[in-house]
Amino acid sequence: MVWDQDKEATKDNYASQTIVLDQILHELDTLNIEQKNNQRFRVDVSAEALPALLSLLKGRAGYTQLSAISCVDWEDEFELVYHLWSYETKVLVSAHIRIQYTPAVYVSVYDIYTPAGFFERDIYEMYGVYFEGSPMMEKFILTEWHGPAPMLKSFDTLKYVNDMFNWQEYQPDWLKEIQAKGGKVVS
Amino acid sequence: MRAENYQAVTHPESHEFELNFGPNHPGIEGNYALKVRVNGDKIVAAKADGGYLHRGFEKLMEGRLWIQNIALVPRICVPDPVPMEMCYALGVEDLCQFEVPERANWLRVLQLELSRIAAHLFTFGGHAATVGMYSNMFWGIADRDLILDMFEQMTGGRVYHMYTIPGGVRRDVGVEQLDKISDLLDYLEKRLSDYDNLFFNNKIFIQRARDTGILTPKQALSWGVTGPNLRACGLAFDVRRDDAYLCYDQIDFDIATETAGDALARNLVRRKELAQSIYIVRQVIDYLKKDKSTHIRCQIPNPLAWKVPAGETYTRVESSKGELSFYIVSNGGEKPYRVHVRGPSSMHAVQVLEKLVTGGRLEDVAQIMFSLDACPPEVDR
Repeated sequence: MVWDQDKEATKDNYASQTIVLDQILHELDTLNIEQKNNQRFRVDVSAEALPALLSLLKGRAGYTQLSAISCVDWEDEFELVYHLWSYETKVLVSAHIRIQYTPAVYVSVYDIYTPAGFFERDIYEMYGVYFEGSPMMEKFILTEWHGPAPMLKSFDTLKYVNDMFNWQEYQPDWLKEIQAKGGKVVS
Repeated sequence: MRAENYQAVTHPESHEFELNFGPNHPGIEGNYALKVRVNGDKIVAAKADGGYLHRGFEKLMEGRLWIQNIALVPRICVPDPVPMEMCYALGVEDLCQFEVPERANWLRVLQLELSRIAAHLFTFGGHAATVGMYSNMFWGIADRDLILDMFEQMTGGRVYHMYTIPGGVRRDVGVEQLDKISDLLDYLEKRLSDYDNLFFNNKIFIQRARDTGILTPKQALSWGVTGPNLRACGLAFDVRRDDAYLCYDQIDFDIATETAGDALARNLVRRKELAQSIYIVRQVIDYLKKDKSTHIRCQIPNPLAWKVPAGETYTRVESSKGELSFYIVSNGGEKPYRVHVRGPSSMHAVQVLEKLVTGGRLEDVAQIMFSLDACPPEVDR
């Protein structure tokens, strides 16, 4: 299987892509679609309808690659963005959903896209959003961190450092020697 | 032995043992561990263990001005930092609707491709070391250093250049410098036959790498593999051509592919890509010499009071390791509201690596790791 194409074929693909997405739009009535340019579509969908949309996009429209899942903390709700790429039509669809802040729980799409396992684990670790059915809901990066999910907007890193640690003057011997000779640190 | 000191040796029922492979070992460009369960020298199970290089880039970027992040992003991936700058700049430009001058785009391609060559040299060298061929590693690092010399002369920085900024590039590159780069390309092209003799045609390397860590096209697609690792399975996808950015649509180059999907094929793809990058850089040099424009960046607002219009964008570039993407959200403020970095290694170094080493032999773990060219800081961010 080798992908190769000319520019005319690409134009045809864009046209057919719009038709396929239109068909899916009619099948899922909670969908809002926006074309940003020839290779970028934004789709806003309800959280309940997302797994069905992903299945349709993968099965019927050739969106075989889950490029990423991004999470945005809007402080009263989370936005999850599923970036899907079609190797055949060269189009990227970003599907946006909103989920409630507490409890921050959503369903895993690992069964549809294997790479979701990594992204869901990362979002769970950094934002505290739990994905039901994901095989890897365990820590990966912050294995010794027991504080709040660090990427939350409510987590203030500077305040945390001030609360946890004491400031101390940095006075190593080599600096004392320099200062004794009249030198100083220029800031 | 005195009888009272004799203790019978008891064997465990299972002959499986857990081995901590790393976080410091020759298999990867940075600190990254793999917990492997072995039976003899056979890998029964493997579990990736990251986090050793986590610096909280995404959180840090939310606390810095748009312009300050230019100094932060290249540090996400040490061996190939230029695509990081590029991906961030593309995102900000998309949100601001900047019209980037044509010359700036060609200068950016010059940087990107030189960075790709440097990164591939680093990877050849690293992979060779995993099979005991250290000369190739020394050559690779030494030749990479010559490219870093060029970067230093062009940008002032050897590894982190901060050369690409939203709106264009920081400075132009003169004809004299372009000639120096051209001479370096001549040298590197001649060196390719040396690399072939020492490494790519070496029986030891071929025997060790062939049929090791095989990825089928179906697995590669299913597991989110991109870049040279995907192309080594015969799948000719490259962001530079299929989701083109900058002026790649005006440049002639081939997408290097192999079909075997093993560690050997992945290295051969990088070998071909290195030659293609030299070919691309030559075209860029020709363009820059003929182009009389001096316009290298568009007008940007006062960087210290720069508010980027509200919106979101997903930008992608082809790094030496695969598809690199940034998802950037602005709420109209002076700092990014959210930046999500999706490095290609987040796929290659975790799920793919775990699956590929399982069932293989202990002596091949480092080799498989390096053949995937995973970059741990990209995973940890």
